[in-house]
Amino acid sequence: MKTKTLFLMMTSLSLFAFVPHTMGQLTGSQIMEKVYNNPAGEDTQGSMTMTLTNNRGEQRIRTLSQFIKDDGATEKKIMFFITPADVKNTSFMNWSYSDGRSDDQWIYLPALKRTKRISSDGKNDYFMGSDFTYDDLGDRHPDMDDHKLLREETVEGRACYVVESTPRDGDYMYSKTVTWVMKDNFLGLKREFYDDRNTLLKTLSIQKFDKVDGFWTILETKMHNVQKDHTTVIKFTDVQKNKGIPDSRFTERSMTLGN
Amino acid sequence: MNELKKMKPVAWGIILITLAASVFFMNSMRQNARMETNLDEYMPKTHPAFVYSDQAEEWFNIKDGILIAIENKTGIYNPETLQAIKDISLGLTGFPVFDESDIMSLYTADNIVGSENGMDVKSFYERVPSSTEKLDEIRTNVRTNDMVFGRMVSEDETVALVVAGMESGTFTTELHDSIVDYVRQYENTDNRIYIAGRPIVEGTMAMLAPADMKRMVPIVIIVIGIVLFLLLKSFRATMTTLFTVFISTIWAFGLMTVTGVPVYSVSTMIPVMLIAIGVAYGIYFYNHLNRYYQEHPGTPPLPAVKYTVRILFVPLSMAAFTTIVGFLSLLSSQVYPIKYFGIFTAFGIFSAWVLALTLLPAAILIFGYRFKAKKTDVKNIGGGRAFRFISNRLLLNRWWVYGIVGVLLIISLVGIRKVWINSSFLDKFEKDSQIALTDAFVNSKFGGTSTLNVILESTQPDAFKQPENLLIIDEIQNETEKLMKVGNSFSLADYLKRMNKVMNADRDEFYSIPSDDEMVAQYLLLYEMSGDPENLLKVINYDYNRTNLTFQLKGDDSKTIDEALGVIKQYETRLNERGITLNYAGSGYKALVFSDLILQGQIKSLFISLLTVMILLIIMFRSLKAGLIGSVPILITAILSFGLMGLLNIPLSTTTALLSSIAIGIGIDYAIHFLQYYKLNLQHSRLKVTAIYRTMNQTGKAIMFNAIVVISGFLVLTLSVFPPNRALGALVSLNMFTSLLGTLTIMMILVFSYNLFVKNKGTKLNVKKQKQHSN
Repeated sequence: MKTKTLFLMMTSLSLFAFVPHTMGQLTGSQIMEKVYNNPAGEDTQGSMTMTLTNNRGEQRIRTLSQFIKDDGATEKKIMFFITPADVKNTSFMNWSYSDGRSDDQWIYLPALKRTKRISSDGKNDYFMGSDFTYDDLGDRHPDMDDHKLLREETVEGRACYVVESTPRDGDYMYSKTVTWVMKDNFLGLKREFYDDRNTLLKTLSIQKFDKVDGFWTILETKMHNVQKDHTTVIKFTDVQKNKGIPDSRFTERSMTLGN
Repeated sequence: MNELKKMKPVAWGIILITLAASVFFMNSMRQNARMETNLDEYMPKTHPAFVYSDQAEEWFNIKDGILIAIENKTGIYNPETLQAIKDISLGLTGFPVFDESDIMSLYTADNIVGSENGMDVKSFYERVPSSTEKLDEIRTNVRTNDMVFGRMVSEDETVALVVAGMESGTFTTELHDSIVDYVRQYENTDNRIYIAGRPIVEGTMAMLAPADMKRMVPIVIIVIGIVLFLLLKSFRATMTTLFTVFISTIWAFGLMTVTGVPVYSVSTMIPVMLIAIGVAYGIYFYNHLNRYYQEHPGTPPLPAVKYTVRILFVPLSMAAFTTIVGFLSLLSSQVYPIKYFGIFTAFGIFSAWVLALTLLPAAILIFGYRFKAKKTDVKNIGGGRAFRFISNRLLLNRWWVYGIVGVLLIISLVGIRKVWINSSFLDKFEKDSQIALTDAFVNSKFGGTSTLNVILESTQPDAFKQPENLLIIDEIQNETEKLMKVGNSFSLADYLKRMNKVMNADRDEFYSIPSDDEMVAQYLLLYEMSGDPENLLKVINYDYNRTNLTFQLKGDDSKTIDEALGVIKQYETRLNERGITLNYAGSGYKALVFSDLILQGQIKSLFISLLTVMILLIIMFRSLKAGLIGSVPILITAILSFGLMGLLNIPLSTTTALLSSIAIGIGIDYAIHFLQYYKLNLQHSRLKVTAIYRTMNQTGKAIMFNAIVVISGFLVLTLSVFPPNRALGALVSLNMFTSLLGTLTIMMILVFSYNLFVKNKGTKLNVKKQKQHSN
């Protein structure tokens, strides 16, 4: 299994640039390629609120601020916890490399006053205890699946392609996913995930999206694990693009300084 | 003769109606009979302890684990064994009852390790390595990880464990078989596979107990049939008696299926009760019939039957009625299967009563009855004189009898104080049975096959991020683990100690609870992000104010659980002072509460039935004295029975606890028959002692026949392969024997000495005079 990244969040944020509608029918693969390659800008910053709700309605709410910068070769991300108070200023940094090297990850625990490198090949694919796996957040390259355009249909008043993606690796945690891709912006509107027994496991739906500084950006997304009745809602606020975040933002020292 | 002709259609009618009803009930049984093997269904759903435990099981995903142990005597760190661990771990997720998160093994575990400047989260292995270095690396990693070493891999490194968590109630025979079949395919000369854990034990027991009953009951019936035949000297009488027993059982189970009540394991005791009681009714019936023929040889069947029904009606009805009331007292139990047991046994007895007064006479009218002439009469072999002799000796030595009974009662009362309840399922198996051996093996290598969950709750959010509270948890674990039978324990504290060590370059001195709240919070966050958050959910809730401590126990018996609870409860005040409440959960704990409930219920219903039976006796015989004296045998039987259990270290269990019902049900019958005939005989006797002789000779003999038949039948159960059924056989036999002796010795003496039913003082004669007289 390839290295996981802690910070691929923003890929999903910025999956989607406006791609003019091509004449002629697109294949499933082409559609998913376009979704994957939606430009996201060189850097992004903003706040993120993650709300986990379990089947008893109990919630865990976490707010973070985050910074992302991608120079084409390396994508650097840094995240600072704001709440809950007892983890304030806990920070995470992730560098992922386009040449296929494993990601580098660091954490900083203010109570320990030390920055530590993390390497992980554990079986936990979930992002911060949420219902999103790293792959769900956009880390999965379309080449890893076979895609099939099932149909076109209108959902919530939006014309969509419905694409079924089946993993080429039989051991993958999903047996298939079905994605509704909006025709006008190649933004995924919703997605269904089926588990290894081919029963519906999770549904992802985009609650809010908008153009931010010229880039299509998802502003609220919800993942519902229907089997466990567990929900994660992630909201992005104060999103800003291409504000020229300095490289010094993405250093171990920067992690210890807080947001 | 004319009258007989008139009665014949009535007799046929009775037989046809009986058969029709039986066909109807059998049909219903075939269509609707449902065995309830899910033990959760036995628990009273509304009892606070169960409500709480069920809730906690849901909060923390507490499940009973099937434990699959893979043993390789040369060590598990070889490609083949590691492959087996991996294949079994992956293969089990193919069963619909298991989620991926339900399976725990060396293969599924995360190894979180620290270094000078970082932290690694790795699996122990993905692909099975073949090189010695890689295998050694796994070994080293396991040895240094307390979350796995001794938990997933035994400390001698020869056994690895795959644990598959299972929701209670999902276990079925088919599932059991398919899991066993699946796992067995990995067994070979090098790798031995053991399957243990509560679901397996429960499942095996649910299959074994009724299967054993099914095997043993026919043998019991055959033996009873043979003895019955030897005593009654009539094939027809024997068959008809067994037939009524059979029919009353069919009706009881038939009504059960008609009303949609499933067959619980306790229900397998119903035939046992009905055999003991139904056979008795038959014996009384034929005993009186024989008596009539003896006195009126050569009479046609009708007058004989009429006489028998007439003379039997009152005592049999009284006996049946009191027994029914005795069983209905079980309705006071909080446990539904026991309530049902009471209701349907009562109905079965009612059926046996109806059949004894209808079917038995009808059968004689139709099929005839050949009374064997005097040459085979027991009386002529000396029975009559024997009873007279015994009665005399007893009456003369009454103080000896009182003394012996008194001593026995004192010994029993000492024994009763030693009676303990055992909720253990494992103890129901032979020590050398496969299941017990497997369990012992897994217990010897790992923490324990049984679990106890302790749930701590605070109203204050983040309570269990406070190091002070975590330190108490750690202390509870350490203190409890000092007990012999507590293998290990697991809680939030273990995660935090591990994280603390990892984040401090894996230095052992940091294997402790972090010293401030924020550190705890940050470690937990880190674990959630890098480890498996599902694991955390098994120990702590979202608000960090409710936490689950799991203790692995090497036994599921009440003593082991109580011992652990004893240590844990010492911390209750300290926890309460910090605003934390202490509760328990899990199947082992529920079984403990459950058996307590059964015992309380049994004691309650024992008193209720003793009291009501006594009142009924008083009303029926219109004599306070009769009520008190008539209750003596059952009181003695109950006390002796429990006393012996205590002295012989036979624990009370769901089956043995029900035995008090037999003691009362049958004991009271003996007493009623004795009293009723004594009362009748007294009217026709000039001397009190003659009435005693007569009653002893007639009723005493019937009671003795009865006891001999049933005891011989139940002694067969002592050959059962299932220990609880053996205890049942021994104790039923013992109860019958005590009731017999109690009735014919001390009760008889009391009846005589206290002038029961004697109205005219003039008839009173003392034994000495009588003795002179007989001399």
